[in-house]
Amino acid sequence: MEFIKGEKLVYEYTVYDEESQKNIKHKAIDSMNIKIPKGQFVAVLGHNGSGKSTLAKHINALLMPTGGTLWIKGLDTSKEENIWQVRQNAGMVFQNPDNQLIATIVEEDVAFGPENMGIEPEKIRKRVDEAIDSVRMNEYKDSPPHQLSGGQKQRIAIAGILAMKPQCIVLDEPTAMLDPVGRREVIDTVFRLNRQEGITIILITHYMEEAVKADRVIVVEKGKIVMDDIPKKIFREVEKLRRLKLDVPQVTELAYMLKNRGVNISDEILTIEEMGDALLEIGFNENENLKIEDKSCEISDENIIEVRHLTHIYAEETVFEKTALNDVSFSIKKGEFIGLIGHTGSGKSTLIQHLNALAKPSDGDVLLNGENIFADKSKLKTVRQKVGLVFQYPEHQIFETTIYKDVAFGPQNMGLDAKEVDKRVKKALDAVGLGKEYYNKSPFELSGGQKRRVAIAGILAMKPQVLVLDEPTAGLDPYGRDEILNNIKRMHDELKLTVILVSHSMEDISKLADRILVMHKGRLKYFDKPRQIFSRSASLEEIGLSAPQISRLMNYLIDKGIDLDKDIYTVEAAADYILNRLKL
Amino acid sequence: MNITIGQYYPVNSKIHKLDPRTKFMAVILFIIDVFIIKSFWGYAAAAVFLAAVVALSKLPVKMLFSGLKNIIIIILFTVCLNMFFTQGEVVFFKWGIIQITDAGVILALRMAVRLILLIVGSSVLTLTTSPIQLTDAIEYMLKPFKKIGVPSHEIAMMMTIALRFIPTLIEELDKIKKAQMARGADFDTGGIIKKAKSLIPLLVPLFVSSFRRADELAMAMEARCYRGDINRTRMNQLRFQRQDFVAAAIIVVLSVVLIFERIFFGF
Repeated sequence: MEFIKGEKLVYEYTVYDEESQKNIKHKAIDSMNIKIPKGQFVAVLGHNGSGKSTLAKHINALLMPTGGTLWIKGLDTSKEENIWQVRQNAGMVFQNPDNQLIATIVEEDVAFGPENMGIEPEKIRKRVDEAIDSVRMNEYKDSPPHQLSGGQKQRIAIAGILAMKPQCIVLDEPTAMLDPVGRREVIDTVFRLNRQEGITIILITHYMEEAVKADRVIVVEKGKIVMDDIPKKIFREVEKLRRLKLDVPQVTELAYMLKNRGVNISDEILTIEEMGDALLEIGFNENENLKIEDKSCEISDENIIEVRHLTHIYAEETVFEKTALNDVSFSIKKGEFIGLIGHTGSGKSTLIQHLNALAKPSDGDVLLNGENIFADKSKLKTVRQKVGLVFQYPEHQIFETTIYKDVAFGPQNMGLDAKEVDKRVKKALDAVGLGKEYYNKSPFELSGGQKRRVAIAGILAMKPQVLVLDEPTAGLDPYGRDEILNNIKRMHDELKLTVILVSHSMEDISKLADRILVMHKGRLKYFDKPRQIFSRSASLEEIGLSAPQISRLMNYLIDKGIDLDKDIYTVEAAADYILNRLKL
Repeated sequence: MNITIGQYYPVNSKIHKLDPRTKFMAVILFIIDVFIIKSFWGYAAAAVFLAAVVALSKLPVKMLFSGLKNIIIIILFTVCLNMFFTQGEVVFFKWGIIQITDAGVILALRMAVRLILLIVGSSVLTLTTSPIQLTDAIEYMLKPFKKIGVPSHEIAMMMTIALRFIPTLIEELDKIKKAQMARGADFDTGGIIKKAKSLIPLLVPLFVSSFRRADELAMAMEARCYRGDINRTRMNQLRFQRQDFVAAAIIVVLSVVLIFERIFFGF
């Protein structure tokens, strides 16, 4: 018997539409049929608003279908008396690790579920110990949750579900707010639970590399299942996925491009190894020294930012003392596009806060256009205007009733007259692609990607010379991510801004950056052109970062004895290059 | 970031190991005792008892006194009030309505001693008991009052969630502040109205985010089968040990002695 079985599921809700002044009915789930057998690992894909989270909440009986029936382990979820059994059998882990931990101590939090189920104290103790053990968090048993990293918090959330002994766990974008290290921790844990303990896993995700390892992939669009198959069969449909606002792993895209250009290669390639082996089978010609042109860009010789021996120590001379930055020096040229990468705790957030004087150095200097930014305290405001910093979560910045007013906050603080403010707000909103129709909308009604654009506009309106963006793509779906990145690229090209983009994603940075700055443990590890950085993929792995898939593919082939150009890291460049080198 | 809530001082002592309910009840009894006492010997007994408890708790004496520092104004105020406005037989000093009498001096001293005993006594409770234990104790002790409509479980759950989220919100507030400063917001200059106005860009995002957190947390709790107090057990049960009975016996004996003290030496 199927563990999860849904027949003609419908979930309908009403929204009041202000323009037409009518209640409009939306179907988040539209006559969906779904069957999931016990023990399967299912990845659910779909862009934001496709209905996948609504589906997840149905499996946990947090929502009841308005039409059709859903059975979990044979229990009808719409029956009141089944609710608690359904919730215990199909546990749920949410996106935000902070907003699902209840207790002040890890152990107490894991006990919360079994306590609610009315289990005897001694048995709870045993379950809690086992659950914490299976997510490998024993040493943090007595820690308060707020001292843990995102990945650790998410593992505790999983332990909290495990302690209820469920047969199925639904995870709703559990890795969206994590860095690559945390993401790997969580995904490894989830796979181990599936393989070793036979727990059915339903993983909702935007990361394709997580989905390729699943037993089965379901793609949801407009409340319907539009694709449902094993990963290989799903990801070969590159065009179809693109239309559904999703993307595919880089190697799959490369295989697809090569096939389209007449190369006889399988379209069911998902991993670097599969791609490498498929290419090796076709075989390579001798190296004819095809040189790849350097990306040309207009960069002046003038330094805009200079950082000299910057050191920052938190809570100096107390027991909590921690060196966040250790003797960091570099300079950035006017008009450059810099990618800043490093995992959580590497010091990158502290570093960018020094660039606009939000943090003060313990030692060292920061120079903007040759002037020390800390020299004159009365000029701090001007510095902050010239170096615009957009923080990770737009929610931390947006507060006004309309988008227009919110963007106007910065220029108003600069003391500009109303006319100038108006001009700047309109220009900034135009630059991020939000037209007139948005001016009087509430910023709180927007989608995640749009909120981010409002936040960027709020900084742009101050006419900065340098734009610093802290992980602008975190938590967005592939479509929202591409939109923001294209936007940033356009601003860099058209407004001649110097851009510093902080990101966890090598793939994102590799597409845009002129130079990449790698931070590790408060020190500057590398500062160089992308090709130079990515050619060191082994040493990147060592510090918890990884080169883009294409770089790793090249390295894989080089390791197999093929003489290849190491400098390729984008899909397009790889397709051109490989096409020239393959024996056809 | 490292934020400690409350003033729990984690060392391993006999007082730390007592059941939080025992400590709670003992503090309540001790407070009543302090108000019963009339004579010098009574105060001396209470002070000796408290000193013994502090010694057993291994708390640094400095910490206890730093707690007193915060309320020194209140102590001084009470002392002055009693000293200057009490009528008495022997008048040491008189100026207008202000006078210092023998009765005034005695009353003022008594008040000061009372306040110090009260504050040090309750500090011992909060310094030796973690917030979780305090919450548990409150839940247990309020249970009997549930029949008359006191939501004991809900109160304890609210306290737990507050303790859990205070550090998270402090961190968040710091981020919001920096995000607004990056947009040229100024929180330090200007008059009181301007300053109050400058808080809007901080408070709106904080409230919006708190409501979202509340919503998501409620959903996460429901997903983990939370339905209030119905059919709920606890992993860590509070259990009275032998030391709790000993401690209870001591405080009861002290109280009895002090009641006798009031009856025989009182007037």
